[in-house]
Amino acid sequence: MASKPNSSGRSDDRRIAVLLLALPLGLLAATLIVPMISAINISLRDIRVIGSDGPFAGFDNYARVLTDGTFWHALGISVVWVVGNAVVQTILALTAALVLNEKFPGVRVARVWIILTWIIPTVVVVIIWRWLLSPSGGMVNPLLIQLGIIDRPMGFFASGPAAMTSLILINSWRWFPFVAIMLLAGLQRIPNDIYEAAAVDGAGAVARFRAITWPLLQPTLLVLTVMGTLLSFNVFDIIWLLTAGGPAGGTETLPVLIYETAFKAYRMGDAAAMSVVASVLMIGLALVLLDRLAPKETGR
Amino acid sequence: MRFKGQSLAGALALTVFGALPALAVTDVKIWHMEQPPHRVQRVQELIDAFNAANPDIKVSQEPQSWGEVYAKVPAAMAAGNAPDILFAIPDFTTVIRKAGQLDSVADFVKELDEKHHFIPATVEPYSYDGGVWAVPLYNMSLNFWYHKKAFADAGIAVPTTWSEWKAAAEKLSKDGVVGVGLPANKQLYTDQTTYAVMVNNGASELFNADGTLRFDNPKTVESYAFYKDLYKFSSPDAANWTWGEAEACFASETCASILQFSVISTYDQQGGGDAADLGVAAVPHADGEKSSSTIAYSNAAIILAKDAAKRDAAKKFIAFLLEPENYGKFLNMEPGLFLPVTADGAKSTTFWSDPLVVKYKPQVEQMIANSHAGMLFGFTGGHVFPAIGPISAQNILAETLQKVVINGEDPAAAVKAGQAQMIEATK
Amino acid sequence: MKRGPLSWLVLALAVFALAFVVLAPMWLVGTSSFKLPREIINRVPTWFPHSFTLQHYQKLLQTSAFPTYFLNSVLVAASSAFVTVILALMAGYAFFRLEFRGRDFLYRLIMVAYAFPSIVILIPIYLMFAKVGLIDTDLALVLVNVTFALPFSIWMMRTFFASLPRELEEAAAIDGAGRWKTVVHVLIPLLRPGIAAIAIFAFVASWTEYLFASVLIISDAKRTLPVGLSGIIGQYQIDWGLLLAGASLSVLPVIVFFAFVGRWFVAGLTEGAVK
Repeated sequence: MASKPNSSGRSDDRRIAVLLLALPLGLLAATLIVPMISAINISLRDIRVIGSDGPFAGFDNYARVLTDGTFWHALGISVVWVVGNAVVQTILALTAALVLNEKFPGVRVARVWIILTWIIPTVVVVIIWRWLLSPSGGMVNPLLIQLGIIDRPMGFFASGPAAMTSLILINSWRWFPFVAIMLLAGLQRIPNDIYEAAAVDGAGAVARFRAITWPLLQPTLLVLTVMGTLLSFNVFDIIWLLTAGGPAGGTETLPVLIYETAFKAYRMGDAAAMSVVASVLMIGLALVLLDRLAPKETGR
Repeated sequence: MRFKGQSLAGALALTVFGALPALAVTDVKIWHMEQPPHRVQRVQELIDAFNAANPDIKVSQEPQSWGEVYAKVPAAMAAGNAPDILFAIPDFTTVIRKAGQLDSVADFVKELDEKHHFIPATVEPYSYDGGVWAVPLYNMSLNFWYHKKAFADAGIAVPTTWSEWKAAAEKLSKDGVVGVGLPANKQLYTDQTTYAVMVNNGASELFNADGTLRFDNPKTVESYAFYKDLYKFSSPDAANWTWGEAEACFASETCASILQFSVISTYDQQGGGDAADLGVAAVPHADGEKSSSTIAYSNAAIILAKDAAKRDAAKKFIAFLLEPENYGKFLNMEPGLFLPVTADGAKSTTFWSDPLVVKYKPQVEQMIANSHAGMLFGFTGGHVFPAIGPISAQNILAETLQKVVINGEDPAAAVKAGQAQMIEATK
Repeated sequence: MKRGPLSWLVLALAVFALAFVVLAPMWLVGTSSFKLPREIINRVPTWFPHSFTLQHYQKLLQTSAFPTYFLNSVLVAASSAFVTVILALMAGYAFFRLEFRGRDFLYRLIMVAYAFPSIVILIPIYLMFAKVGLIDTDLALVLVNVTFALPFSIWMMRTFFASLPRELEEAAAIDGAGRWKTVVHVLIPLLRPGIAAIAIFAFVASWTEYLFASVLIISDAKRTLPVGLSGIIGQYQIDWGLLLAGASLSVLPVIVFFAFVGRWFVAGLTEGAVK
């Protein structure tokens, strides 16, 4: 380590690192790894109602879960959910970030208050949108009719695709400002003189975006995509509270299916097996994606 | 770290007090799902009165939500911090029985019956496998609610048969009005409305006498087909409805009619509150049937406590609730929704003197009359098969309905698939 | 750079659209919480209230434990934020200022934390916490909230540490200040914007958490705002007026709070990067 001129630096570093990391890593191990091990144990047993015990079943639960269509169906729904959220949020957030990166009267205020929707608890988001989308007092239907987009009230959760679209938009409404602020931070890291040089060279706004903004924003975007993918894959409450996976399984993502299997169908063993498979998939995905970022991460 | 301190102190206190042999006061914890603030308040008033009269017992309540309780109770039982009294419905009771050892309360129910005379249909869903597993507390039944004026304006009589019902729904559905509000959510409310339609077409039995399933039969298929016909006149967002949305739709007069347990308090607070315009009738029956039937829920209290002193204290509190004077107050935690399960409760002056019950007396009387023809899926025909637990918990009736009305599947095929799913669920 | 009128128009439209998307729902919810019940569920909704009442707020405050829920949420969120900041600082220093074997591996491992579906660990955590007597305690929620806020906070720390020139610490070291002194007197003051950003992130994350709070907390007196509110939604009825009042009252304090600290969050994230 450079800050210590003497040579004892490295072993010293190691000792301090152990001390410093014991607590954060210990907490994560206790609240993530230990429960995960317990979940693996359950997944190998024929356990029905949570808390009861069951005989060892080997990989029976895995075999049943993986050969059953519902698991793959839910995985497919999850992919749609994750990709939909990623696309919608990235577009909205990037637009917002580009706008907020400009100079206009009130931009300082806007940069703070764009975040408003992110600080609302999910339950409140659900209340707000259930009401806004309902035909009894909701504003969205009349507004869309006024704008001539639809000619009579529509059901925003009436079919699988409609419900999925509504859910993605609602979830994105809540999350895009946060992503926007993160992207804004990334944008501000791009030195102004690059743009000025490009402007002098006669590059238009679109050309500047393609040549400078987009490539230089990549690292931030990549991390946010990884995080966003993992976080939105895990989203449970907003789906559960708005559609509970319906209609007709149209929004039944993997976490919803796992919850239903555990607490509605009372097949804890199956639910645990699905969980383990889902975790393995997610961890694999995370490692692959992070591997591409990691070298730049801890280094300087 | 004040949290750590607190929990440590708590643990310390627990060990100290736990070591003391006989405590002067017996604690009784109640979990129930009547979470709206005014209901919690009413229950608290009764608890306070009981605690004041019984200084050696301390009852306390923790309201829970139906959404979480399916996960929470088994987990709490496994972890050893379950409540002493748990309010439940019949199918949830079968789940609790599976999760832990329940002791029969047959003697206690008999004792109470001699005093208050239970309506037999309310005890039945809890009597099987040689025991009675919970004490009935209140009854709920599904009714057909309508705006009298809307029907009069359109020149329609209140429907009693399916063909009249369909004609009425069609005629009422115009100018943004929803003729009949019917849900199609994968949720308990839709289970209930679906079964209320089935039961009116002679498809009340889910099981044969030997415990095999008989869901897949022509009567069921007809019922689903009819529900699909009616659903065309329901609200565009009905695929996402729970009880609340239906009530809001009715109170705002967007819905001319709905199937619901009770709309009285919502109608009174958020709707017009005009008692003369609020109509309630039995759910219409199929043209081939003679009379109407409906779905009825007997809600009951399970005693989870194992400790003898706690069990006695819990029984004492339940007996206290069923005393006619207290019972009327208890039922009126949501006036017009909860109906008496005992004969003397039905005459309780505290029940009939509630201002809302006074105001809507004809409606409440009609609801009680309707409830006498009530049945509950999986709890009919004198047999109870525990298989109903997962069938009900997974909302297979509603899921089958979604396949028909949302995905447009053929009713016969969907019902067949539904039965296969039920068999799978009960394996 | 000069901006033409067309460019101004596009910008103005974009700003307006953003403001509408974020603010219009807020406006409707806020103003409707003062409407009479009939107007709230009217088939033809109104942008501006035609009626005025405080009945929903009265009902909310009289019949529910709303203030208790609120205080619980503040307590849990503030504690979670505090613990997250401490742990993120510790981990951040180790990852971005020290050199040791396995550093990159451990750092990556931490980011993988988000790969565990929270639904998976819900029940094992419940059973585990039950064994050690943590069920129905605020501490249980703090532990869970910190777990979920920590990895991202550590990632945010990276930028903040990277923006601080090491020369400052080296200079302090040459001046004879020990490592601990350097951290407390040089590093932490310079990291302040970053600390603020992390604290706010962790605060909001636990302020909005629902799933674990709904299962790990049993007694009404310990419920957090989201769980308490979901209880008010009720099973059989929806009192939209009451819910909209609850929604408004649960958002308003955060808005006030954000009015004071919001710029730190944004500034912490953006300014640290400019250098």
